[in-house]
Amino acid sequence: MRPFIVPGLLAVFSVVIIYLALQLKLSPPMIVGHSMQPRSFPIFLMVINLILIGILVWQVKQNPPDPIKLEGVTTWVSISMFAAFYLLTTYADFFIAIAVVMFVLCYSWGERRIHVAGLVSVVTPLSLFLLFDEVLKIRFPRGLITNWYYG
Amino acid sequence: MLEAISAMSSVMLDPYLLGLIFMTTIIGIIIGVLPGLGATTGAALLLPFTLTMTPVNAIAVLATLYVSATFAGSITAILINTPGTSAAAATTFDGFPLAQRGQAGRALGVAVVSSTIGGIFSVIILCLAAPMLARVAYEFRPPEYFALTIFGLSMLASVGAGGAVKNLIGGVFGVWLATIGAERVTSIERFMFGNYELYEGLSFVPVMIGLFAISELLVQSKNAHLVADMVTLKAVKLPTREDYKRIWKTIARSSGIGTFIGILPAEGATVASMIGYSEARRWSKNREEFGKGSVEGIAGAEAANNAATGGAMVPTMVLGIPGSGTTAIILVGLMVHGLRPGPYLFTEQVDTVYQIFGAMLVANIIFLGMGLYAAKLFARISLIPTAILWPIVFALSVIGAYSLAASLLDVWIALIFGVVGFFARRHGFSVAPIAVGLILGHMVEVNLQNSLKMFDGAWWMILAQPLALLFLVLSFLGLFGSQIVSMITKQGKSSDAKQDVN
Repeated sequence: MRPFIVPGLLAVFSVVIIYLALQLKLSPPMIVGHSMQPRSFPIFLMVINLILIGILVWQVKQNPPDPIKLEGVTTWVSISMFAAFYLLTTYADFFIAIAVVMFVLCYSWGERRIHVAGLVSVVTPLSLFLLFDEVLKIRFPRGLITNWYYG
Repeated sequence: MLEAISAMSSVMLDPYLLGLIFMTTIIGIIIGVLPGLGATTGAALLLPFTLTMTPVNAIAVLATLYVSATFAGSITAILINTPGTSAAAATTFDGFPLAQRGQAGRALGVAVVSSTIGGIFSVIILCLAAPMLARVAYEFRPPEYFALTIFGLSMLASVGAGGAVKNLIGGVFGVWLATIGAERVTSIERFMFGNYELYEGLSFVPVMIGLFAISELLVQSKNAHLVADMVTLKAVKLPTREDYKRIWKTIARSSGIGTFIGILPAEGATVASMIGYSEARRWSKNREEFGKGSVEGIAGAEAANNAATGGAMVPTMVLGIPGSGTTAIILVGLMVHGLRPGPYLFTEQVDTVYQIFGAMLVANIIFLGMGLYAAKLFARISLIPTAILWPIVFALSVIGAYSLAASLLDVWIALIFGVVGFFARRHGFSVAPIAVGLILGHMVEVNLQNSLKMFDGAWWMILAQPLALLFLVLSFLGLFGSQIVSMITKQGKSSDAKQDVN
């Protein structure tokens, strides 16, 4: 049953897109002329996708793939840090979020020397920040540190 | 022709551009020797830094990175049996065994010289073939462009690591992503969910950063604790006269193979190097040496993979159809800088085009010098702990995604596509088809719409256009050719068996 989960999810996705496309407004013929309605192309794509998924299911039945091992802790920590990055950027500061996530990534990926992980996670965003702000003239989003820096 | 030569030579007279190419060659080699960080990831990370440059400089930087990173993959392939880029995988077959025999310098010398010759050959072909193809492409109307993009999408079946069906699903998903935003003719909002920052569609840059850089970060998290062993290297040696005698035919053959394969939409340096290697073996008088440290094997793979870089630029610049993940990013770079990829680039921006070609030529020459004199140093860089390297990639990715439009939405898009790309790869889907599909999606829809308008809704009239029909037949053969051949072979065998029984 497990090998069919991915094709199943893809099929559900395609059906949802077809449903959403069908909810799109129809454009008057005087604008569209003999061409397609805006909904037609995505529906056409998802129908092709469903056909391809059908072939994929048939292939999986013929040659069941080897079971995929669950990812290790490091991968899950890395993915969950993306969520933490979102929260930190939204409620604290983009710069702080990058530094914190970099530090945790360094540590969880095996860098046990705290001072090295700390140095990397401060120096990298700081140098990139200065490069973008001073040289490329691109401002970081407002937050605790950037508010203080920009005034 | 004179105009082309003067534009190309102007690169040599521009110290700023030369400096930029020199710096990018170093960056490209560093990116190429770091396992996991290939040309595509490198180009995705570097793209935001090119936004403030002039179009010529920006594309020259990306093209230089493409060329140098593709070459540099061979350094680690030879010294630590780990190809820095997938295109260098075939180099490990003979490069590492030769290095283990204490001839790492000779192996690197052959790789550097073969790569340089392959790269220069392909740039020359690019200079000759691109304008000729552009002249043909002038005649293209919407039906031909529609058929051409379908051909490009059908070639996705063979791009990347996934199977044909999975690649096509990825390609269709990519094309669907291109429908997000306001529809071009009617301005009806599609799949925006009330988010007006998506009105003009998904930005390519954050999607590319997510698919290539962040997904790679998650893939590499599995190898976080791996430590590579390096073969000792005294100095890189230029091939001897004896070596040249053995490899010159292989280099010539592989340069041709690599350039041709690069030109095919969606076929890249990896396929080229594998075919270059196998052809080198097929034609060699010393087949028994292959796999044990054959210089012909190294030359075959390296000349082909670097020749593919110039070849892949042909459909990218002339037709706007990327030949690989990296050229997809270069195409995005062209668009971001307001250059319209396609045949008109060769009349409206002819200087720009030839300066870019000139930059690629200079990059090939620079990496020859660097490969010969600094390979040992670059090889050491590959030993940077992953626990330090990948968090830096994370910072570059999120800041790069943000910098395009100073929008945090782009950062979230990069992270989401990073996770999507990771799970896609985990289940055997390659991310390159998604990226190519996203880029071609707009072209497919617009040209289909325009074709329908041209023929008053009679879609079958597309099939009545000879060139469009040719592309569609090629697409069909590309998708089903091998199945048809195997069916015919099976039928032939079964009828032979019946005759034997009778």
